[in-house]
Amino acid sequence: MNAPQTVMAINLVVNGVQVAREVEVRTLLSTFLRDDLGLTGTHVACEHGVCGSCTILVDSQSVRSCLLLAVQVDGTNVETVEGLGSLGSLSPLQDAMWREHGLQCGFCTPGILMSIEGEVRSGASAEAICDEVLSGHLCRCTGYQNIRTAIHAYFATKDES
Amino acid sequence: MTASIDAHRPSLVGSSVRRVNDPRLLTGSGRFVDDISLPGTLHAFILRSTVAHGRLISFESGESPADIVLGPDDIAAATEPLPFVWIAPDQQHLHLPMGDTTVRYVGQPLGITVARTRAEAEDAAELVEMTIDQFPGVADSLAALEADAPLLYPDHGSNLAVDFHIGDDPDVLEAAMAAAPIIVSRRLRIPRIAPIPLETRGVLADWNVGTETLTVWMSTQTPHHVRDQLAHVLRLRIDQVRIISGDVGGGFGAKEHLYPDEVMVCLASIRLGVPVKWVEDRNEHFTATCHARDAVHDARLAMTQDGVFLAIHTKVTGNLGAHFSNVGTGPFRVSGLMLPGPYRVVNAGAKISGVFTNTTPTGAYRGFGMQEAAWVRERLVDEAARELGVDPLELRLRNVISSEELPHLTPTFQEYDSGDYARSLTMVRDRVRAHVPIVDPNPRIRRGIGFATHVEFTGLGPSVMQEIVGFRLGGYETAVVRMEPDGSVFVSSGVMGMGQGIETTLAQLAADCLGVGMDRVSVHLGDTAQAPYSAAGSIASRSMTVGGGAVVTAANTLREKILRIAAHRLEASAQDLVITEGRVCIKGDSSVGISLEELAEYSWLGWKLPEGETPDLEVKFVHDPSNISYPYATHAAAVAVDLDTGQVQIERYWVAHDSGVVVNPRIVDGQIAGGVAQGLGIALFEKVLYEENGQPNSTTFLDYLIPLASDVPDIVMDHFETPAPHIPGGMKGVGEGGTIVAPVAIGNAIAAAVPEIAGLILETPLSPGRLWELLRIGGLINE
Repeated sequence: MNAPQTVMAINLVVNGVQVAREVEVRTLLSTFLRDDLGLTGTHVACEHGVCGSCTILVDSQSVRSCLLLAVQVDGTNVETVEGLGSLGSLSPLQDAMWREHGLQCGFCTPGILMSIEGEVRSGASAEAICDEVLSGHLCRCTGYQNIRTAIHAYFATKDES
Repeated sequence: MTASIDAHRPSLVGSSVRRVNDPRLLTGSGRFVDDISLPGTLHAFILRSTVAHGRLISFESGESPADIVLGPDDIAAATEPLPFVWIAPDQQHLHLPMGDTTVRYVGQPLGITVARTRAEAEDAAELVEMTIDQFPGVADSLAALEADAPLLYPDHGSNLAVDFHIGDDPDVLEAAMAAAPIIVSRRLRIPRIAPIPLETRGVLADWNVGTETLTVWMSTQTPHHVRDQLAHVLRLRIDQVRIISGDVGGGFGAKEHLYPDEVMVCLASIRLGVPVKWVEDRNEHFTATCHARDAVHDARLAMTQDGVFLAIHTKVTGNLGAHFSNVGTGPFRVSGLMLPGPYRVVNAGAKISGVFTNTTPTGAYRGFGMQEAAWVRERLVDEAARELGVDPLELRLRNVISSEELPHLTPTFQEYDSGDYARSLTMVRDRVRAHVPIVDPNPRIRRGIGFATHVEFTGLGPSVMQEIVGFRLGGYETAVVRMEPDGSVFVSSGVMGMGQGIETTLAQLAADCLGVGMDRVSVHLGDTAQAPYSAAGSIASRSMTVGGGAVVTAANTLREKILRIAAHRLEASAQDLVITEGRVCIKGDSSVGISLEELAEYSWLGWKLPEGETPDLEVKFVHDPSNISYPYATHAAAVAVDLDTGQVQIERYWVAHDSGVVVNPRIVDGQIAGGVAQGLGIALFEKVLYEENGQPNSTTFLDYLIPLASDVPDIVMDHFETPAPHIPGGMKGVGEGGTIVAPVAIGNAIAAAVPEIAGLILETPLSPGRLWELLRIGGLINE
């Protein structure tokens, strides 16, 4: 009998870049993104799928990257907060969060941004995002009020353009 | 007296400028401790006790493949005990022994494994054999005082660690109580809760073998304090240790001192001569990081037949956990100190008993003792109103200290500084009166509105006061403000950013004083090799009050020097000059002037200076305030209580507050909104549970609930500003007030909604299960 396979090759697209790596099969997707690819914007705050800080998009669907293994995203298109916008060129959603003071310590923020991004793509309304999607995230600093304000502000600018 | 905004106040203060550090946080470019990697970094896992009470009789690393395994004996031999910081009267224990083999709580760190990855360090830990001889344990503070309770420290003879009075002499107080016509007396409890920053604790330690220096990246609120403690424990000179605290994902009090597991990581790096990283996982965090509160109050409010308050007293039984934390009985003491709140009382005091139990030590958390004091006092006031048959808000207005009576010395030695406490009450009252009540045809939904008010202790503090109360942290802050040769402005302070926006607000102060734009100022915090010394760091709502006050004075002093140099260059009098838009000009004639770039360039060359002026454009100022600063607020909550489920929904929430001069209104609003959300969690959800013997039951986010977006309403806020008279810039602290008042405002609202059970609203959380039980006792459940 063969020894169990402990390492696997995976191919995927991360923020538009083709990536090929060998990973230990037990490696969490969040660990792979942070440690192997250096994408440290994806934060890990509970490792049991409750807090939402590690949320990313896999084929445009929001997922908890702490609840997936890296080998499970072989062949997919992965997007992280690093793909949303850059320091000098924030995305409209990032800019709304900045303008409305929708973050304090900023640790939960990347996950919230990615959840909202995924829901916007699937056509969710501002109300649905504020009422339901945001409740899939723990934020200990803001009390959520300014995040809601930012979501509405973002939709207002999106609808104008 | 309420001050309006000073007409001469520069424009950036009072402006909601966007936060300077947000773009990096929004793009994933922040540098939290786990985001930092050094070449060759190894990863650590901490071995912890899984039993609440016992003795570790063997620790065998055996076949473990780790790069290093350190057990209690290795750790004890290489370290000094960790000194406690706030010492109670007659406190016998002054240090925490490192590598103690007596186990007193689940989560107590016992050893460390280090390997190539965290996963491999965990694998290695699996092979370490620990044998613990288990003893009976006790988790509850009152149970721990029973005669047959297991003793945590048999040599001490009792689980009663310390016992002392504060405020008025007990005999005087008892005489006042005996003479009072009416006494409202209740046993109130504030359960054990946890601060829960979203980023857990973490350390990256790098021992440099060649220079014999230790550089430690750490998620901490108090870099200098941690440095001093770490050097002591590791037997290093302080100048060998450098702490760098980068982005910090929330602190709330949980990260304001050095923990023993953090020492172990540093020790492993020294032993191996390579960088070692450890980041606490959430499961660890629930038992390894300090909890808070856990106090039983037997409290009394004495008054006349007309509802004039005479005296207030509480007997606090406080659960210290398995050993004193760095602040020990501090939170229980502050409960006593702030018990009188904004009310005029003749006598006040508290008896404080600190108790050892087989639980995680309790320490600092947002609201530090004051949330407990507010719960006790404001519930007693509402109960007093109910007994007298008067309106609770009117009873508060009858007893609140008037603005003419300020400054006011309380029987617990607080000299309240400035403000108009009644105004915050009437502002909220007017808001509530304008509120159109929600009409609901369902008779099983009850609605009510509750009020609570407070005055708060912020901006720790005069160093001399710290000495009097035995709190070994200097209370001052230092600022360095420097104009560089290109006219840009460097600001450094010993306070820390952890989400409260202090980098932005300090930049606003410096930019205003120096007449430059925000884009010319950068604020540098958190690196002990660069920041001026700060004994206390960012705790106690002090960063803006004490640290900001230092920046105001340093920047104004630098401004005066710039004006002297410009006066020399322009052959004018310094009094006739202004700095505006990056230029020093003659008042009223902006065509005559000199740019700050040119002035700074020549000044640093040492050219074109007036006689006796030094070339540097740098000022360092140490600000040790003459008093605490005392903000205050009134909150009101409108709640709906479902009599069938015990579910409480907060439908409206109002705050009127005065935290002195507001530097950035949007940031202040954010502090209040976030604080209220944490208070809402305390009111409705949060409680760390233990089995009677000390086994913890709250170790994941499924057992310990914190508020979600759907739980927290938008909050209506009214601000007014009474400057702190003794603080340069006039700021008072604003970080904690929301958390302090919200639980009891919500508790009082539930009592108002369901008066049948008002007398049973004595402890939080008022979770559906707990409230349903109270409703059942009150005969309100259809069975």
